[in-house]
Amino acid sequence: MHWIDGRLTRAVIAACALTAGYVSAQTAPAFNREMVVIDAAHGGPDGGARINDHLEEKEVTLAVAGRLRSLLVARGFTVVSTRSGDLESRSGLPLTSDQRADAANRAHAVACLVIHASASGNGVYIGTSPIGSALAAVPQAGSQARAAGGAVPWDRAQEGYISQSLGLANQVGTALSRAKVPLAMGRVAMRPLDNLMCPAISIEIATLHGGSDATPVSDEDYQQRVAEAIAGALILWKNQAEQPESVTIPRPEGGA
Amino acid sequence: MIFRRGQGKFKRGGSRKDEPAEGGTLATFVPRVPWRKSAIVQFERSIPRYQKVLFYVLLAGTVLMGFFLFYERTQARDRLAAQGDATPLFAPVSTSTESFTLDLANDGDGSVTSVQRQIALPLEPSVRARALLERLMAEYALPEAKHPLASGAAVDDVFLLKLPIVDANSDTTTQASDAGQEGELAVVNLRGSFVNQHPSGVEVEMLTVLSMIGTIHANFADITQVRFLVDGQPKETLAGHADLGRVYPSVDTTAIANQMQPTGDASGGSQ
Repeated sequence: MHWIDGRLTRAVIAACALTAGYVSAQTAPAFNREMVVIDAAHGGPDGGARINDHLEEKEVTLAVAGRLRSLLVARGFTVVSTRSGDLESRSGLPLTSDQRADAANRAHAVACLVIHASASGNGVYIGTSPIGSALAAVPQAGSQARAAGGAVPWDRAQEGYISQSLGLANQVGTALSRAKVPLAMGRVAMRPLDNLMCPAISIEIATLHGGSDATPVSDEDYQQRVAEAIAGALILWKNQAEQPESVTIPRPEGGA
Repeated sequence: MIFRRGQGKFKRGGSRKDEPAEGGTLATFVPRVPWRKSAIVQFERSIPRYQKVLFYVLLAGTVLMGFFLFYERTQARDRLAAQGDATPLFAPVSTSTESFTLDLANDGDGSVTSVQRQIALPLEPSVRARALLERLMAEYALPEAKHPLASGAAVDDVFLLKLPIVDANSDTTTQASDAGQEGELAVVNLRGSFVNQHPSGVEVEMLTVLSMIGTIHANFADITQVRFLVDGQPKETLAGHADLGRVYPSVDTTAIANQMQPTGDASGGSQ
């Protein structure tokens, strides 16, 4: 199953390359309720946050994504991973955030999960795009004209899915709370959340502070506990997600 | 001579060598006081009055001088102690303190809370904004801060630009935004040293951004948009996560940070 994920990812990347620089307007098909996109953030030269002297964020996100993928596949999901190793492109460089978003948008997944890890904070922090809130980015010059032209601006691709993303965040948050994992939720201005055309959330796993002991994010039991809670939430979510209204598929301006 | 304590009497002489050898009688007064006291009385009687006055004046002067020296010693000790005190002095201020609102972040629960502080700030708006953000970052450098950041200068400058921004070259109005043309755009130029030392993480970076935006919103009503630069240049992220490339609206971030909580209701999300 693992190699299928890899082939699917490479096929998505190739499709991205073919459509480089092309801004199209297609009607979004209904999403696949059995499809989940997992984006293990960072990779390659971008190590992300330094968890400790010997561990970088990219390693933790990959480990958590691997655990989550195994659990979801065992429960009948098809998983698209934007990164299955340290590097995930033929050029030897990791995918950019736009490339990851484009790959996720083509999967028509019922959930897109962006996995992060941090040495600060406590427990898990779930973020959703600020689109639709007072914190939504001020639109830049020309974006309204593009919207009038029929295509959804790349920076507001999440607009049609934000209510579903909030529902997904609530579902995952509830599951983590039941798993006794400290939880915080908020709006996050971070790529590629705004560019995803699926119910999308970021999940940042931090050190678990409880009493006098602190469980590091590298702890395998802790990672498994979080992954199981998320997988359980997605089983419920796949039947609750509502199909989006007909929208157009945006592409990154510079191409993938 | 007969000396008797406690009484005195006259006694005829004749038995002593100093008495007249013949004829005459010498009456000697024997005082009825202790012998020591009588000696003092005799001594005092032998001292002239002006010497006694002088003695008492000098004695009083000596006592007064003692008190004066003790007082001067105490004063000198206090002065020396003050010179050895390393406590920093309050910075001289030319303006009176005012009440300002700081939006303080909490990493523990991902919240942002407004607190009031009495601060003396410059009057010029852009300098005032920079000083206020520096004060905000100083709060995070305290040991008990719930959103700990490294100490040191964080904000290089704050520029305030009237909206809409007019491009003089093309003689057209370059819109910083398609919406919200009123008010001012605050361009916050962060120091590279601050950004490099900032902890990396989605939550911690986002809370720093929300904290700055909320503080600006709470104290500068004219500012409607906020943009961030690092050492004068655009930067994609603060420390790898929070987006610094976008223009943020100046809004109350306490509500944004605190409004999302899992409801336990599987039917929908929380706003």
